[in-house]
Amino acid sequence: MSLEEPRPTDVGETAEGTVDYAELEALLGETALDREEHVNAPAFVVRPDEVQDALSTLREDAGFDYCSSVTAQQYEDRFESIYHLKKYDDPTQEVGVVVPTPTDEPVSETGEPVYRTAEWHEREAYDLVGIEYDGHPDMRRILLPETWQGHPLGLDYNPEKPQVVPFREHANPLQPDTRGEGSESDTMFINIGPHHPATHGVLHVKTVLDGEQIADVEPDIGYLHRCEEQMCQQSTYRHQIMPYPDRWDYVSAGILNEWAYARAAEDLADIDVPEYAQVIRTMSAELCRIASHMLALGTFALDVFGDFTAVFQYAFRDREVVQNILEDLTGQRLMFNYLRLGGVAWDLPEPREEFFEKIRDFLDGLPEKTTEYHNLITSNEIFQVRCVDTGELPPEVAKQYGATGPVARGSGIDFDLRRDDPYGYYEELDWDVITEEGCDNYSRVLVRMREVEESAKIIEQCVDLLEDWPEDDREIQSNVPRTLKPDPDTEVYRGVEAAKGELGIYMRSDGTDKPARFKIRSPCFCNLHTLREMAEGEYIPDLVASLGSLDIVLGEVDR
Amino acid sequence: MASALATLQGAPLPDRIVELLPFGSGPLGTAIAAVIGATIVGSLMMTMTAIAGPWAKRKVTAAFTDRYAVNRLGPFGLVIIVADAVRLLSKELIVPEGADRPAWDLAPIVLAFSALLGFAVIPMGSGIHLADPEVGLVYVFAIASIASLGLVMAGYASNNKFSMLGGLRAVAQNLAYEIPLILIAVSVVLFAGSLQMSEIVAAQAEPLLDLGVVSIPAWYAFVNPFAFVLFIIANLMEVGRNPFDIPEAPTEIVAGYQTEYSSVYFVLIYLGEFLHIFLGGAVIATLFLGGPAGPGPASIGIVWFIAKIWAVYLFTQWARSALPRLRIDQLIEIGWKGMLVLSLANLVLTAVIVGVIA
Repeated sequence: MSLEEPRPTDVGETAEGTVDYAELEALLGETALDREEHVNAPAFVVRPDEVQDALSTLREDAGFDYCSSVTAQQYEDRFESIYHLKKYDDPTQEVGVVVPTPTDEPVSETGEPVYRTAEWHEREAYDLVGIEYDGHPDMRRILLPETWQGHPLGLDYNPEKPQVVPFREHANPLQPDTRGEGSESDTMFINIGPHHPATHGVLHVKTVLDGEQIADVEPDIGYLHRCEEQMCQQSTYRHQIMPYPDRWDYVSAGILNEWAYARAAEDLADIDVPEYAQVIRTMSAELCRIASHMLALGTFALDVFGDFTAVFQYAFRDREVVQNILEDLTGQRLMFNYLRLGGVAWDLPEPREEFFEKIRDFLDGLPEKTTEYHNLITSNEIFQVRCVDTGELPPEVAKQYGATGPVARGSGIDFDLRRDDPYGYYEELDWDVITEEGCDNYSRVLVRMREVEESAKIIEQCVDLLEDWPEDDREIQSNVPRTLKPDPDTEVYRGVEAAKGELGIYMRSDGTDKPARFKIRSPCFCNLHTLREMAEGEYIPDLVASLGSLDIVLGEVDR
Repeated sequence: MASALATLQGAPLPDRIVELLPFGSGPLGTAIAAVIGATIVGSLMMTMTAIAGPWAKRKVTAAFTDRYAVNRLGPFGLVIIVADAVRLLSKELIVPEGADRPAWDLAPIVLAFSALLGFAVIPMGSGIHLADPEVGLVYVFAIASIASLGLVMAGYASNNKFSMLGGLRAVAQNLAYEIPLILIAVSVVLFAGSLQMSEIVAAQAEPLLDLGVVSIPAWYAFVNPFAFVLFIIANLMEVGRNPFDIPEAPTEIVAGYQTEYSSVYFVLIYLGEFLHIFLGGAVIATLFLGGPAGPGPASIGIVWFIAKIWAVYLFTQWARSALPRLRIDQLIEIGWKGMLVLSLANLVLTAVIVGVIA
């Protein structure tokens, strides 16, 4: 990994490659006031005005270069922000930084100068919970409209109060024509979206153009915000939450999302999953990944080819086969709702041989399809001219923004939770993590195309295993109590490798059957944050291509 | 072949209509005959556009992408043409706030008619040839370039930034392709020794190679394949199809200059685009493919001519389905650094060859 910077030090790491929290505590010294035990990893409590000190110590001296999420929540007596830190080299090495702030003055120092990704996370925390971050470059709402009254996830929020916003408070998006260096400049401000053929949903990209080149770009999100976190907080662990993950990344990555919740909840409540169910989970999740990557490929081709052309339709044709298989398995094409805590909803469809044959037929045809795609897309001269060396995202920048998934792997970052933080049945199977060193739009597409082949390898091995599985050992669910009440004040943050990157769930239990705080760390949210780095100085078509290569789903960005 | 030549070099269509009409050959008679002749040619082209736009385009794209496309209305879904016409014409015409009228209203008309006017000098065989001026080729290019004016008008007058960007792109693209296009056409003129369309067609009638069973005619596509390929590429740029559909680039600037047009105006712009593709096909057929020449009697020349136009049309649809779009700066680079140099080289080469042979 020549592109990766060498790990600064091994402070806080034991010889076995685990975190030595005592050493970390010593490293933080006076800054660490206390130590909290979370299910995933211990966390250090830090004063609100020493956040940057603590974070930069952990980053520079202990090598925690990945801030995966910032969770904010309100207790009866205080507000709290939690920075979930990991290492790109080894995401099992985790640590949390907990920053309590008083209820009457919820102001905390921003972590943005240390981790760029914290910019959006802190804006979201401000928007939904109401913590203000001192020194933040752009402390505005991010998901809700700027005119919104109150912070919906705060304890004193009154949802009954109508949101009355006078018309004049709405800024007319058509009015300001030039931005940046005042009205004298010759730049042009243009709204790309929320309704635009290339935004893959309701994304609004505020763009400042200098001729055809991008002078500044700012994604404006929140048009598809459906209060998913709040809905999960009002639902019971056992049955009511599971249907929601399907609605985050809704382009056929449903089972991957469900797994994120299942993994976090199973860790929280200490539930075991039978091996047979793990294999089925692994297989169905990889089918979802193939469907999702096919869609990403098709829509990216749509962005670069410029019309609903052959490539788009071919990708959809082949994705359709996967959709049919998933329909056979789950009974659904879009909202699968197939995983359960402790296993899966039901066994493979009967007759099993027919089902396996269907999968094998698909896998056998895949190499031919892949060759076709490579002939049509990646080896096309014009496609290469358009995509190679455009939308560049150097690995250091990608890490700063907390990029994960194919976006990170397209920048040469060897990071995949399936291998680095193993769950399911991945550890037992033979497959590779794909990385490309190009850091451009082309590499990201190539990573997805090659990942489809890796997923096919995994599915094939799973099918082999399932075919020979003894009939009396097919346990699809472990014994889970009907009502699940995890111990009070347990907290967990767990991520899985979803189609777009690390999909993490933070949950805090208060002893009831519903989570007291449910936070979703969306990979698309963080990946979209990198758009500015990619697009500045490029042309409009490259902005569109970069957006396509990020493969965002607005349902997951806005939640 | 000789009889075909006689038909082609015979009097243009209006002159023969004059003789059939009882109005004499005075100004009135000539005017009426010209209107009738123009109506015939215009209707022919409009019919082709009507087939190409709502029906053939869908069918062709569907064939490329493993789909069925329209197949419910009438045989092969052909009645969709009527349904689409009713649908498009009955839509509301939305005039954007702050549109610069009458430029905004004139632009679609300019676009459609600049293409239609070009067909006046094209010899289509079977005696369908409206006028045959000595500078026919220059006339075609001059008229076709008026379309650029329409694009700029549409882009500028719509009071929409996406339209504006599309208009600017259209101008940049026009400048980049128009010069190579004309330079390549000039090389054909060097061969034929005339700017008159009928002369250019006649010059291609002689056999180039006689292989006994078949004789290959001296179509300039065979005489100078290099120029032919260049011209096909420049023509793709002219009609704005992939990989050069940059002025309207749907995924980038929504629909470019036509973003704000709806209803009848949208139909006119669309009509203009398809007529332009057909005009491009007609010019290619005339300059490089022997015009209406083909096996069989000269009286079925129009069939061959339309077949050639459709071949060019299908080629543009193929490119549209299979090729990614270039970026505007890359297009300009290809136009000025690639096409211009190659077309100049082609011109010099042709001049030398013609000079040596003649």
